[in-house]
Amino acid sequence: MKRRPWQRRRDEWLLTLPSLGWLLLLFVIPTALVFAMAFRPVDPYGGIGAGWTLATLRSLGNPNYPAIVWRTLWISAATTVFCVLLAVPAGYGMGRAPAAWRSRLLLLVIVPFWTSFLIRVFAWKLLLHPEGPIKRLLLFLRLTEPGAPLLYCSAAVLLVQVYTFLPFAILPLYAAAEKFDFSLLEAARDLGASRATAFRRVFLPGVRRGLLTAVLMVFIPSLGSYVIPDLVGGTTSEMLGNKIAQRTFVDRNLPHASGLSALLTLAVLAPLAAMWLLQRQRAPWLAKEGE
Amino acid sequence: MKRSRLPLVVLAAVLAFFYLPILVLVVNSFNAARFGGSWGGFSLIWYRRLLRQREIWQALENSLLIAVGATAVSAVVGTTAAIALHRYATRLQRLHYSLIYTPLVIPEILMGMSLLLFFVALGLELGRWTIFLAHVTFCISYVAMVVLARLQDFDFALIEAARDLGASAWVAARRVLLPLLAPGIVAGGLLAFTLSVDDFVVTFFVAGPGATTLPIRIYSMIKHGSPPLINALSTLLLAVTFAAVSVSQRLIKRSAS
Amino acid sequence: MKRSVSGLLLGAVCLLSGCGRAGKTLHVYTWADYIKPELVARFEAQQGCRVVIDTFDSNESMYAKLKAGATGYDIVFPSSYMVKIMHAQGMLQPLRPEWLPNLRHVDRDYLKLAMDPAMEHSVPYMLTYTGIACLKSKVAGFEPSWAMFERADLKSRMTMLNDMRETIGAALKFLGYSLNTVNDAELAAARDVVLRWKQNLAKFENEQYKTGLASGEFFLVHGYSGDIMQVKAENEDIVFALPREGYSISCDDMVILRQAREVELAHAFINFLHDPEVAAENTEFIQYLCPNAASYEKLSAEIRSNPSIFPPPEIRAKGEVIADLGADNAKYVKVWDEIKAGE
Repeated sequence: MKRRPWQRRRDEWLLTLPSLGWLLLLFVIPTALVFAMAFRPVDPYGGIGAGWTLATLRSLGNPNYPAIVWRTLWISAATTVFCVLLAVPAGYGMGRAPAAWRSRLLLLVIVPFWTSFLIRVFAWKLLLHPEGPIKRLLLFLRLTEPGAPLLYCSAAVLLVQVYTFLPFAILPLYAAAEKFDFSLLEAARDLGASRATAFRRVFLPGVRRGLLTAVLMVFIPSLGSYVIPDLVGGTTSEMLGNKIAQRTFVDRNLPHASGLSALLTLAVLAPLAAMWLLQRQRAPWLAKEGE
Repeated sequence: MKRSRLPLVVLAAVLAFFYLPILVLVVNSFNAARFGGSWGGFSLIWYRRLLRQREIWQALENSLLIAVGATAVSAVVGTTAAIALHRYATRLQRLHYSLIYTPLVIPEILMGMSLLLFFVALGLELGRWTIFLAHVTFCISYVAMVVLARLQDFDFALIEAARDLGASAWVAARRVLLPLLAPGIVAGGLLAFTLSVDDFVVTFFVAGPGATTLPIRIYSMIKHGSPPLINALSTLLLAVTFAAVSVSQRLIKRSAS
Repeated sequence: MKRSVSGLLLGAVCLLSGCGRAGKTLHVYTWADYIKPELVARFEAQQGCRVVIDTFDSNESMYAKLKAGATGYDIVFPSSYMVKIMHAQGMLQPLRPEWLPNLRHVDRDYLKLAMDPAMEHSVPYMLTYTGIACLKSKVAGFEPSWAMFERADLKSRMTMLNDMRETIGAALKFLGYSLNTVNDAELAAARDVVLRWKQNLAKFENEQYKTGLASGEFFLVHGYSGDIMQVKAENEDIVFALPREGYSISCDDMVILRQAREVELAHAFINFLHDPEVAAENTEFIQYLCPNAASYEKLSAEIRSNPSIFPPPEIRAKGEVIADLGADNAKYVKVWDEIKAGE
């Protein structure tokens, strides 16, 4: 008994409505609100003033901001590069491992992720303490001097960011590597390619989607990072997220914070939109015909 | 043909990198010395002090309550979303997919900020309910993606067959679809639970009086530096996590056999 | 499985709505480590109630939370300048003197400086001084002066407060100006001084400086007197001093919010904290000074002779209270932005 079209449409709407409705209400509308707030004035006592104005937007032209934006961009980019550099071989190694080992390795990668993120950042503060183990090791190896700080600088921020975001890079790459047909690599070697060439021209394109996901899942959240620079960053490691948090919680300037958030949202949606346009041809459901 | 050792070396290094700070925490939680610089002898004093800290257990209770609630709701909503996404290929689903995908990649501070503004505009009192609503919002996407991955290999012809044999939609769903999806839903639920218990940024923006969750309590402990207490707490959490994971592993193995 | 899921949902909903209601609960919003826990327990036992304490780490974040709609708190402990703002915004309740007999013990000398001398909507809680602290053995030639932040040999082992009024204020005092000035030239000069000092700082930090100092992570910090005194107990090497160029005094007050639910209980708590015995015990524990004149004689000799808690008159004269500047606050925000962004 074939289902009639209106019944299918009704079923589709029934299934879609809970999630669509929830996300529209609690995700899309709040985001639109952020954009709307950017057009409101701030009242000196920390509330949101009445009426609409462009003054808040103009105040975003603060001469101190470009430096912060630049720093946020380069730290995020550097974090992404390091994460991908480590995640690709790790994902490859995991994908090639025998099946029994694969689930164990996956577990080993995920379990630290199950401990509190804040606690892991805190652990790095212990490790990088000026009198702590790593400093003493580096002193012993004559790689540093007694006065040099390991914490409260951009390098510390980068290190802890890589530590935090690495699982987000490894998982998609592992997922892609698991589905990758490794016999293709053997075939390439049989045809005379070197290990490096086979890797570069067969493996990497084969896990292209995993790579793209890894890049997005590290770069974009990193742009909004503020806890890590707050805990292990120094006086010159301030990122955009810190500014937004400062405006919201310290300066009590919600409209301005909204303006910054709106800018950040636009900056984040741009690469996402680009990815959408690239991926449209490969979207899974579009492959099904005549449903 | 010899395989390069490089990937395995990198993998081992990465794992060592992951576990190093954790090892430091665990070791230091038994360190009688107040500051981890030197070893002051083995001691359980920090664990004893931890047990007396009422605020921490209150915060843990809040975190667990919210996580259970958020997991339950997001498991249901996420599963229906995944089924819809997999089953239908319309423009509506394309919109639906982008709506589900975006919260996964958006920086948390944006979600926190937008929800704060939203709750303030509605005049909602900030507290456990607002945290709960916020957590469900980001958990739905995770559950949906996990269940969707599980659905990739599912053939809806099975459901059609069941319907043709006279089963109603509900029966077909319950006896054919859900059992097959169950591992995916459980996995998605576990992920949602973890994310909810561990969430800091979004919770920080929308929390209210008496609604301190464990991460917020930990943040203020870090800022206040009760370092040994944090070490003890994290070791306990790790032990619980390991136990939970090994138990669930055994359950999965048993149900598979 | 369906039944257990719905059971779980029901249980979650029930628990979330707070089904446990046993006795009255007082919600307190205060700074961290700012009241002796035994005193709270004593109050709970006396009144047969529960006290729930939430903490904040800055007046601004507390204010932002309250403005954003966090209701549910009964008593809050803001600093005086913040009390002025909250009062102007109508966020506070007038106090009932008939429920606060212990207010007769409050130090009249302090009330002369206070912004609410009649204690109509706020009662002073603790006096705070901001100064510098260091590890004696690591810092050669320590002087009680803001000039310590110029010392390049202590580079990246020093911190200053992440509070614009305190840090800019320190620079203003160093240059000999008032820390409540709104003169642009003076503010610009202070900005340049802080930018110079910033080269030597590890970070701007409001809370972790005390454990950082005790654990040897930092050698010299800008901090609050009571915090440093508390942490001195863990590390004998610590020394606190009020800089000779001047420093900031602030007082934290107790206020009852307009929408407080447990008004009578809140008054009882305030009265309890100004009982001379309780005030003395509190002072001894948190090492700030409670301006309760009747409690002074109950304090130990150690506290009475501590210049960081009872500064001698010539030092006390150099202290200045931080005042709220209303719209001129924006000038400080701008300078602080420039300081944070400067390399």
